[in-house]
Amino acid sequence: MATEVLPDDRVLRAGRRERALAQMENHDLDVLVLGRQANVRYVSGAPQLWVAGTRPFGPTCVVVRETGAIHLLSTWDEGVPDDIPHENLYGITWNPMNTISVLKRIEGAATAKHVGSDALSPGFAQLLPMAFPNAELVDGELAMRAARRIKTPEEVAALREAIRVAEVGLAAAVAEMRPGVSEKTLAGVLLEAMAAGGVSTPSTQDAAWVTSRDHPWRRANDDGRVQPGDLVAFSAGVLDGGYTGEVGRTWPVGEPDGAADLYRRWDALWHRLYEACQPGAPGTDLLSAYQAAGEQLPPMPISRGLGLGFDPPVVSQHLPAIAAEERLEAGMVLAVTGYVWQPGVGAVFGREAVLITADGPEILTSSPSANVAVGA
Amino acid sequence: MTSITSFLAAPTSALDIPDTPDLDRMRRETGARLRSAMADRGVDVLLLLGNNSVVYATGVSWPLGDAGLSHVERPVAVVLADDPHPHLFLPFREGAASESGLPADHLHGPVYLEFDEGVEHFARVIEDLVPAGAVLAVDELTGAMRRAQPRLFRAGPPADAAQIVGAAKVIKTPDELACIRTACRITDEAMVDVQAALAPGIRQIELSAGFMRRAFELGAMASMLEPIWQVMPPSKADGVWTTHGDLALPLLTTERELVAGDVLWTDVSITYAGYCSDFGRTWVVGQEPTPRQQAQFAKWREILDAVLDVTKAGATAADLGRAATKANGGARPWLPHFYLGHGIGVNAAEMPMIGTDLGDEFDENFVFEPGMVVVLEPVVWEDGTGGYRSEEMVVITEEGWIPLTDYPYHPYGAR
Repeated sequence: MATEVLPDDRVLRAGRRERALAQMENHDLDVLVLGRQANVRYVSGAPQLWVAGTRPFGPTCVVVRETGAIHLLSTWDEGVPDDIPHENLYGITWNPMNTISVLKRIEGAATAKHVGSDALSPGFAQLLPMAFPNAELVDGELAMRAARRIKTPEEVAALREAIRVAEVGLAAAVAEMRPGVSEKTLAGVLLEAMAAGGVSTPSTQDAAWVTSRDHPWRRANDDGRVQPGDLVAFSAGVLDGGYTGEVGRTWPVGEPDGAADLYRRWDALWHRLYEACQPGAPGTDLLSAYQAAGEQLPPMPISRGLGLGFDPPVVSQHLPAIAAEERLEAGMVLAVTGYVWQPGVGAVFGREAVLITADGPEILTSSPSANVAVGA
Repeated sequence: MTSITSFLAAPTSALDIPDTPDLDRMRRETGARLRSAMADRGVDVLLLLGNNSVVYATGVSWPLGDAGLSHVERPVAVVLADDPHPHLFLPFREGAASESGLPADHLHGPVYLEFDEGVEHFARVIEDLVPAGAVLAVDELTGAMRRAQPRLFRAGPPADAAQIVGAAKVIKTPDELACIRTACRITDEAMVDVQAALAPGIRQIELSAGFMRRAFELGAMASMLEPIWQVMPPSKADGVWTTHGDLALPLLTTERELVAGDVLWTDVSITYAGYCSDFGRTWVVGQEPTPRQQAQFAKWREILDAVLDVTKAGATAADLGRAATKANGGARPWLPHFYLGHGIGVNAAEMPMIGTDLGDEFDENFVFEPGMVVVLEPVVWEDGTGGYRSEEMVVITEEGWIPLTDYPYHPYGAR
């Protein structure tokens, strides 16, 4: 982090914008209206205020394919790259009719035939036709998803840095783990360390929890304090330069009975997951890794792309057709989750960032794991 | 119904706000408000995707994450007009903390509405839950939902659920007020330590780090925005370029090292049980404010007092705006891209908003009612002082208002 708010690096920006424009062409979109922060950052390269949770849809950034012009909702120019001139900035409005007036004036709006948006609300479904009177309004998220799917080398470098900050946070929280400490204090330590490392924008704030001995994934129903014999899960995630860096680990408090066996099971599962991360492999191979290891599939996606926000492939037991269709490709970066549970013991959760290369998987995370500590 | 279904009246004094929120009662009362707002608009079913709307409609809360990941792993709520309990579709972890209040047959596994396959699965669930002719409202449509509209919305295009949730949540129940007040107390206590650490040489980002640590230790569920410690420019002309030529706010935090005399406009927000705090104070780094700076604070105080004088049930947003403008000598004491004040609840800023580009007619027509919460944040500026901005939160009552914040103005004000 610098002492000034700076736009994203020029090469990083240019690589992304080129991909977005190419996908607009592939999807036959004349104009993209973007409201999702990740997409806005992807095409504009301008840092924006981070706010927790999803936001209602609103036109925050408009891309015109023919001219390549980017129009951005920003009341000031700090952090805005110089290829977005002042006349393309529009200030914060609360009145959607004023937003529509801005969009109407954009060169190319009146003649656009296909306008994609990355989400929509019933309100803007009614209003956008006023700004794009000759256009069919269609989904634009598929085009953005296709653009974001494969990372440029500059994006991989940005992800490595984001993961490094997440690992600093995780290490700080693990160091504070002791009987009596609360889950929230561990989260506070983790978030403090990531901020001290330069990033005050977490991607997750659900940072530490005692895993349940009674249920495969519900919370341990107590006062949120760590006790001897607990298995404590740590999930660190940052948004660094817009990029999501994530790492997950589980550490035991003391030497819980049965923990060594559970860590060995996690290791065996992870070995199979790692082997499934091959270029050309279907997403199904990741699901099969759980089955082959004899482990129950957890309720969360066991793999999703890391980048700005979420990226394909999202591999979940709830999306079997997608898992079968998806192929891993070189240049994807995945957050892959291993999760094993034993009644009476708890869960071991581990999340690794994996870069798919032409030669196979490269693990980008390097946080120590507890396996050695428990003799697994 | 049984006698445990007690409903609390709108508060008339701070004593009427419970010390500890009763989350089950809160869920019942907000649920009743929501279904009443549905009935007013003839809507039978709400499909809610937005994190804040789901928190409001279900009473379930979790540490909100970044929007990007939240699009794929997020709780979804389905509210039926004739069912006191919402249906809730939960991903791993999110909402797990407080899921126990809902009947088991209303708790479902995760749905993935970003994908055609996920929407196809969800459409089958909806077909079972929702009668074919029912009128639906939705707050967000993903691309996959847009492709499946005829299937999802069999009775025609959906209405806007944001309007319905907005109408319900504008008046807070006493338990919601208790949540907001608890969030404010956590924030204030954390800020005491942050302010104590303020000294020349400290970096903006270190203030953020200290705040996050302390707020979570004290029981915060999540930070709602990246903490802001904006160093104000010597003059408007020295500030960053803006579309309107006035001040920029909020500018992002960096590793900038603070120096003696820097004037900071601060802004942080956290949640407790899903409800937001809002904190804003002006600080001076490493020295006492000058007499000119104290005069800025005095002017701000005069404006705030003038606004509070007219703040009560029955007043309009325009009444508050006029009082502020008059006390400021005829100029609006707030930034053109913001407001004199805003509501707060499950969102850090929600309706009502006073003095925005929604226009005078909106402000004239917005009438305050007991139980509404407003954050007042007038702005005073004179080149060479760094100006003054603080935020004060009040609950509207029949007779006036109840303060929810009492953080000192140090280093400004009486010494």
